[in-house]
Amino acid sequence: MILYLPAALFAVSLMAAYGTVGRQRQAATMGAVLAAGWSLALLVDPGLTAWALGPVVATLLLPRRGARARSSFEGLTRRVITIAGALLVALFLASRLPVGENPVLLSAVPWVLGALGAAWFISPIDQPERLQGQVLMVAAIAAILLAAVPAGTLSAALAGAMALMPIAGEQWRVPGRLRPALSALLLLLAATAALLAAFVSVNVVLSLFDIALNVSSAMLLGAAILLVAGAAATPIGIEWAAALGVLTLAAAAPGLRWAALAGLVAVVTTLDPRGERLAWLAAGALAMTAVLPPLAAPSWSARVQVVTLAAGLVLMLFAARAATLRVLVLPTTALAVILALGPVNAAGLVRFQWIAAVGAILIVARAALTWFLPDRSGREVLRDGLIAGLLLLAISARDALGLGELAAVLLLIDAAIVRIDDIPSPSSRWSRLVVLARSNWPGSVTFAAATITVIAALQAGLALGLLAAMLVAALQLAPLVDRHAAAPAAQRPRSALQWVGPALSIGCGIAPALVLRMLQLAR
Amino acid sequence: MPLALQALLPFIALLGAAAVVRPRPRRQGNGWIAVGATAIAGTIALVELLRLSPGEHVDVPYLTTFPYADLAIRLDGLSLAFASITLITAAALMLVRQRTRGDRRDPWAGWLLTSAATCAMILADNLLLVYIALQLLTLAWSGALDEASPRRRGLRLAVQVADLGLLLAAASAIQSVGTSAYSGVPSDTFGLATFVLVLLPVVVRIGALTVLWGGPKATVAFEPAIAWLAPAGYLLLRLLALMGGQLPDRTTAVVLFSFGVIGALVLAGMAVSERAVPRVAGLLLAAQAGLALALSTGDQALMTVASTWLWLVLVPLAGLAGVRPRDGSAPEALTLLSLAMVPGSLAFVGLWLGGLALNARGLLFAMIPVGLVVVASIIAAVGHVTVRRPRDLDVAAAWAGALVLVAAFPIVAIGTVVIPAAATVRLVPRGMISVSPFGLVTGFGSWPALAVSVVFAIVLALAGWRLQGRLPLRPRGSGSGRAYPSLLPERLRLPGLPTWSHLVLWGAFAAVVGVVAVRP
Repeated sequence: MILYLPAALFAVSLMAAYGTVGRQRQAATMGAVLAAGWSLALLVDPGLTAWALGPVVATLLLPRRGARARSSFEGLTRRVITIAGALLVALFLASRLPVGENPVLLSAVPWVLGALGAAWFISPIDQPERLQGQVLMVAAIAAILLAAVPAGTLSAALAGAMALMPIAGEQWRVPGRLRPALSALLLLLAATAALLAAFVSVNVVLSLFDIALNVSSAMLLGAAILLVAGAAATPIGIEWAAALGVLTLAAAAPGLRWAALAGLVAVVTTLDPRGERLAWLAAGALAMTAVLPPLAAPSWSARVQVVTLAAGLVLMLFAARAATLRVLVLPTTALAVILALGPVNAAGLVRFQWIAAVGAILIVARAALTWFLPDRSGREVLRDGLIAGLLLLAISARDALGLGELAAVLLLIDAAIVRIDDIPSPSSRWSRLVVLARSNWPGSVTFAAATITVIAALQAGLALGLLAAMLVAALQLAPLVDRHAAAPAAQRPRSALQWVGPALSIGCGIAPALVLRMLQLAR
Repeated sequence: MPLALQALLPFIALLGAAAVVRPRPRRQGNGWIAVGATAIAGTIALVELLRLSPGEHVDVPYLTTFPYADLAIRLDGLSLAFASITLITAAALMLVRQRTRGDRRDPWAGWLLTSAATCAMILADNLLLVYIALQLLTLAWSGALDEASPRRRGLRLAVQVADLGLLLAAASAIQSVGTSAYSGVPSDTFGLATFVLVLLPVVVRIGALTVLWGGPKATVAFEPAIAWLAPAGYLLLRLLALMGGQLPDRTTAVVLFSFGVIGALVLAGMAVSERAVPRVAGLLLAAQAGLALALSTGDQALMTVASTWLWLVLVPLAGLAGVRPRDGSAPEALTLLSLAMVPGSLAFVGLWLGGLALNARGLLFAMIPVGLVVVASIIAAVGHVTVRRPRDLDVAAAWAGALVLVAAFPIVAIGTVVIPAAATVRLVPRGMISVSPFGLVTGFGSWPALAVSVVFAIVLALAGWRLQGRLPLRPRGSGSGRAYPSLLPERLRLPGLPTWSHLVLWGAFAAVVGVVAVRP
């Protein structure tokens, strides 16, 4: 009987949340969160209730208006359909992925918490509800993963604390007087990480109580990229968000890892909501890859896991067309997928390659399609789509020489750091250097990445190699189609760190062997 | 001097000169600096070639900054022959330009960088580095740092896309044997598919010759010889060398021979109907390159020597054709006659040697279409040639005369340049060709070069004297020549698609994901 109480508490809280306003609604929302925490305690371990701290605090921080918002028939119908659909999907997934021998209603509580968050995110009545929805989604991802792959109390608390990230993205900005110091610190840390990765073979697990962090050469390289992106390319004031990306790469506990990614998505989409729905869908799909092995039937778990990994990556690449998602979320996701792809067997890799190839064609075709639509304002930069396609092929190559990983890293540097700022008019030596850094000519990171992608893809298979060659051929033609440069990062005009992107491009374009050394030390 | 430094001397000369002239545009001495540096670089390459023992090759590695594209230099007969001929031709072109008045453009830095890039491509030690060098070469001659620049955009993009064939070939080698370095690639690494891929950049560069001459004329066209023909010829011969000097099978050889000869015939036919002299020169050059391609298919040492001769002489010939002639000048007449492959010309030596090789195999009939190409070329050239009494001896006239002398005395080039290059492609037995001041003697026949040159010089002189008042036989055209109708509409309109079109793509993606997930 006690096993059904969390579900009952959740149901009551749900009804109350929809039927009340103000403080009552806030209390009902907290009740839903507590119901999920209670279910975790019953499903796994009472120590996991520490997870609930983060979402409860986040809910307390979100004020609710006292008066009921005016609604229309269409709005109400949409909200009802949204919550009903979300709950159905959640119950379906919970029934297919039960935790042990527990009743479905108990296992389903974290899932339906996520469904509630998704419904409020998709059809909000106001901005606070939308924010609350993001809080619940992040919290639910952490809860589901903790139920599937239990972690320690501190890890659970930290995973739950990721639910504060949507609010942090809205309100936390680094004070102006601290930004130069923070940027310098990030660059210094990035340089240190890169040097360590280049000259020391590192593969250790650092433990802080029960929080385990994997530190390897590949992780250090990824951290360096994210820290540079955070310092040089993110919108002003949220440079700190790079730490979430680093946490995603380093965290050993899946609950913490994917919750950090979800938190990162929430932070960056507060400034520019373009692509946020797809990004959330991708984050959810990637989180599922950690849920499937312990909970799904072995006959189909491995298969679906690989497919979900690939599909999640494709969705995130498609979503990350906007500058804010591209700068931090794209490299984080891609690097996390590269790390997750390591243990996949040959059959799984073939599935991944299939989806990656079709995904590459989809992304390029989608970008090209916008040129044939009547709405001219929706035209996309074809070059960005081609870079994304090459990235998919590079990640899926996973050749014995390590060239696929190298190409992927170089493409991430290109997409996240180099192609962000406006191209100056080629009138001075500096501007010519920037033009070279962002071109396809030898010496640029794009040229090195594209060349190595073709070689790596051919190692994986003839079809992949030819597809990569066709994408590179289209890359030569893309500048004719794209009359405008990549959109500058929001709220970062004329940054003092404009030299970082071109310098990285030229450096990596001339000497990619150094990056390969970092990756080979990780093997 | 350490070999590692010796091998870098041509680059030091070229890049050093570029670094000197670039910050000081339009200065009087820039031209002489460029000429001197390029001549020094060419001389160094020639000296290295002369010092090389028969069959010797030296690989000089430096460092590895790009995976599988080690910075290393290959010194062998083929690379040094092409490097010396190309750089000497470049120096001659620069000298012609320096001596020409009236053109105020400042091409020196660009030309020096183009020469350096070509030299890098020729001396590179592995296929991936060759690909990178070709891209640098394209950047150098186009000067289009901004890729959307309209400057020769179509040509530039065609070359860049075609060069991907070489990248695929290099990737294939890396996949098979773990390297694309010349020393590490066994002769059975490359098959028919790879050969066809590498043929792409060769064919595109030859095709560029047919479109390059047109529009406003610079006094000297630098690219045809240095950026097109030299890389094309070198690339083909290098690949043949990597394949052991012969194609995968006889069928491929026959098909490629037919392709080369038919292509040459078509181009020579187009030259017959062409009015503008610059385009005639371009078409005839491309026809000659087609014949060189055809003769490259042979599996005999003498055919290899013949094709190597043709490819090597094409470079200075293209350079001479790139000099904007004064109507009726002696260089123009000599250039046209050389392009016509008349007996006594440089190209005819190669064709004769090729004919001897085919005759030895009982395949002399294969020279019939080659003969048709020569006839068509002669008709095209004679139709446009005109001669006036020369007023002064300029660089172009001296250059043209030098080429005629080399044709009359092939001893100058055969043993020093051609045979070392051919021996890199496939083994050339010692004594297979013996040379004397009067001609060549091989085991399959001889070529009395001096006698033939003298006889035809007399014939042409008599013809010129008789027809002086009636030349040119065809009225000359000016400008860019015949314009072919375009298949593209004047204003390109993109078809419109409904806004839900992207859902079709997503649906297809979802279907693929579902199939991949469900398949056992």
